[in-house]
Amino acid sequence: MIKYIFFKILQSIFTLFLVITIVFVLMRSMPVEGYLGEDYDKLDQVQKEVIIESLGLRDPIHVQLKKFYNRIIAGDLGVSITYRPGVPVADILKSKIPYSLGIGLTSLAISFVSGINLGIIMAENSGKILNKLGNIYIVATNAIPAAIYYILLQFYLTDIFKLPMLFYADRPISWILPILSLSLGTTASYALWMKRYMADELNKDYVKLAISKGMKMKDVIKKHVFINAFVPMVQYLPASILFTISGSIYVESLYSIPGMGGLLVEAIQRQDTTLVEAIVLIYSFIGIMGMLFGDIFMALLDPRIKFGKSEGRI
Amino acid sequence: MSENIYPNHRSILDREFRTIYSGEVTTLNYLTTATANEFSLIVNFVDPLVEYDRFGKIQPALATEWSVSEDGLVWTFKLRPGVKWVTYDGEIYGFVTAQDFVDGLKYVLTSENRSKTANIVYNMIKNAKEYYNKEITDFNQVGVKALDKYTLQYTLIKPIPYFLSTLTYTCFFPANGQFIKDVGGKFGIDNKHILYNGSYIMKTYEPHHRRILEKNPHYWDKENVYIDRISMTYNKEANVLAPEMFLRGEIDHVNIGSDIIYEWMRDEKKKNLIRPNRTNFFSYFYSFNFNPNFSEEYEPENWKIVVNNRNFRKSIFHALDRKAAMLTEEPYEPENRLLNTITPKGFVSVGGVDYTDLQPLREFTQKDSFNIELALAYKKKAMKELRGKATFPVKVLMPYNAASKQWANRAQVIKYQLERILGKDYIEVIIEANPPTGFLEKVRNSGKYGLMELNWGADFADPETYTHPFRRDSTFSWIHLAEGNGKEDGLTIYENLLQKAMEEVEDINKRYLLFAEAESYLIEEAFVIPYSVGGGGYSASRINPFEISYSPFGATSGRFKGLRLLKRPMNIEEYKKELYKWQMERKGQFEGGRE
Repeated sequence: MIKYIFFKILQSIFTLFLVITIVFVLMRSMPVEGYLGEDYDKLDQVQKEVIIESLGLRDPIHVQLKKFYNRIIAGDLGVSITYRPGVPVADILKSKIPYSLGIGLTSLAISFVSGINLGIIMAENSGKILNKLGNIYIVATNAIPAAIYYILLQFYLTDIFKLPMLFYADRPISWILPILSLSLGTTASYALWMKRYMADELNKDYVKLAISKGMKMKDVIKKHVFINAFVPMVQYLPASILFTISGSIYVESLYSIPGMGGLLVEAIQRQDTTLVEAIVLIYSFIGIMGMLFGDIFMALLDPRIKFGKSEGRI
Repeated sequence: MSENIYPNHRSILDREFRTIYSGEVTTLNYLTTATANEFSLIVNFVDPLVEYDRFGKIQPALATEWSVSEDGLVWTFKLRPGVKWVTYDGEIYGFVTAQDFVDGLKYVLTSENRSKTANIVYNMIKNAKEYYNKEITDFNQVGVKALDKYTLQYTLIKPIPYFLSTLTYTCFFPANGQFIKDVGGKFGIDNKHILYNGSYIMKTYEPHHRRILEKNPHYWDKENVYIDRISMTYNKEANVLAPEMFLRGEIDHVNIGSDIIYEWMRDEKKKNLIRPNRTNFFSYFYSFNFNPNFSEEYEPENWKIVVNNRNFRKSIFHALDRKAAMLTEEPYEPENRLLNTITPKGFVSVGGVDYTDLQPLREFTQKDSFNIELALAYKKKAMKELRGKATFPVKVLMPYNAASKQWANRAQVIKYQLERILGKDYIEVIIEANPPTGFLEKVRNSGKYGLMELNWGADFADPETYTHPFRRDSTFSWIHLAEGNGKEDGLTIYENLLQKAMEEVEDINKRYLLFAEAESYLIEEAFVIPYSVGGGGYSASRINPFEISYSPFGATSGRFKGLRLLKRPMNIEEYKKELYKWQMERKGQFEGGRE
């Protein structure tokens, strides 16, 4: 397993390197007008040149790349160019990540617990009213675009329960709706998958064997089926946890939450290359780590899963 | 949705103004930014030498008096003594002196600071360009000096009649040299890294979340600041949420966009809460491209032939139904937005006469260019002259920025209305959506259009400011390449007219008449089709728009100084009454004088 992890980490570093290099080169090939933003028309040629040159954008690409690698290796994410000129990228991220993380983790915890439970209940009540209600909920959250039910929730629930329309860090009551909105969709998808895995397991021979041996269905579910169905759910959990830092574009926009949601899009629109590179670096890192932890978690939970060829086939 | 209609709310604090905004500022560094969004916030924090009052008249601010030398080159300002610099937490830092204006300009002209307004300074101030380009290194040679603690002197390259107006630009604002040194590269990155001498201090600044402005207790003119606290909350979806928040009494100002204006106009209660917005001084116009550089499929060679035919241009000039286009965004009073000249009405006047009413510009001001009969007459002439030379129908490539929904709507309307009037045997208008990233560079500056909507805003109080897009060094439409534009001494007719106007720096009346002549030439030759002014639309607001500092450019129109909160929002009838009153009072202010 240690060998596996070591190999994975090496592979991850290589992938990261590839990703940030590609993004760097792509960003540098965008038109330089973008760096001057909406003030473009008001600048003269001399000024445009001075600004572009002083940003180091006239250096050959390999020189820029070398500077970039040196900076990243030294742990410096650089300074924002256009999003908030002069502000260290690390400071921008530091002020935003806690919001997305706080709201995202809370909502993830809620949806994970309630989704798994809903999935179990639905599987246990296959064909009954509870299952049908669950299905309606799952289909509804999947069929109605989130953008629509988010805004309906915001308009109606704030009016009915006299809640503030926007988010205020110092008023916990204003956190309820964004967290609730975020949880609705993920709860449904956890429920859906849990139900599916449960249904798969319930049809397996070991269940029939256990029942015929006189075990109660309830115990079979609790002791065997649940854990077997739960394993595949765990695989993506680390990635989901880590990715909460990327925030939710729409919920954060609707409730004025100054989190990470939409930051990447805005950074690209404003052509803030340093910011884009930093975000891409972080997201790629998280993606890779998420997969790695997912594999490790699964192995820990399910003794049948082994790493490495010598230990047998998976 | 909400049943709570505004007047039912009694919980409103009368000296607090609450608003929602959807565009966050990127910096508070007023010495480097050139963005209107940033200007309009910063002008509440730092005062200029002079300011515009609600009629657009220049008034003393940090300068109490000023004089200009005989030759028009040296301007001397006496500063108001005792004005304090205050930090974001309200501590007094020091006094504003003449040296602060010198230090500010030095920062702007140091090219490493990447100031986007440096050109405004170095095109006027002596030796400023040389310093910016590092041809000289001694800042003492630059034409800005602190003669003593409270006397400031600027030396210009040439006499500039509108110099005073440019001082409202943030690049001329003072900055304490010691403070700049102390904060290093962080000047202006947030509310803690600037000093305040204006009417408000930004106590809280959480980007993309909220800003809280409080009245500056040390402000020199605090008697004229009536709002104690301004809380601005960021919301990217402000256009969706803010109208409802206004109805619930959670905010005091909201723009009512064209997508919901019908709904508000139909509802009697809501209708009573809204009033028109004032238009601004952005001029929108349609330009013909004389340097076609677009793809072969749109026949650039053919375009080159037809665009050089005056009658062809005039046929489109008269066929463009500007009102129909404007109805897509201003369904109620489109005429208020239409503009028949490039320079907007009310921009400058001389001897009580508005610039757009000077001859020969007045000919255009007084009538709509849309005229089907004339359009068809010119079409006939053009087809006759171009027979055998050009192929019909002519492909008219009309690109737009896909990020603007309204522009897309407009382009659709114009395509069908032009083709309907002029006939598909004559033109085929091709509308092309382009991605917003690098739009201007990729489309306009690269000449990838035939006919396109362009715009320009004023930089100073003189008609010269609106000539920029039509000059040889601009990348708007390359009018100097037009054939039959008669060349004398290597200059086009237009350039000759322009040069004559710019050289006249003493007699303002004559100067304006010369500019009016040059502008008329552009329109008469149909190099350009004037379209509209920016701004407009509707708001529900507790702000009286006629109390706002009135200035066509620069920064001061974003100021909260001098504004009082209305008990209830102004409605359309009240707005019209107030507008009339304002116009009459303003006329009185300017009678016989120049501005």
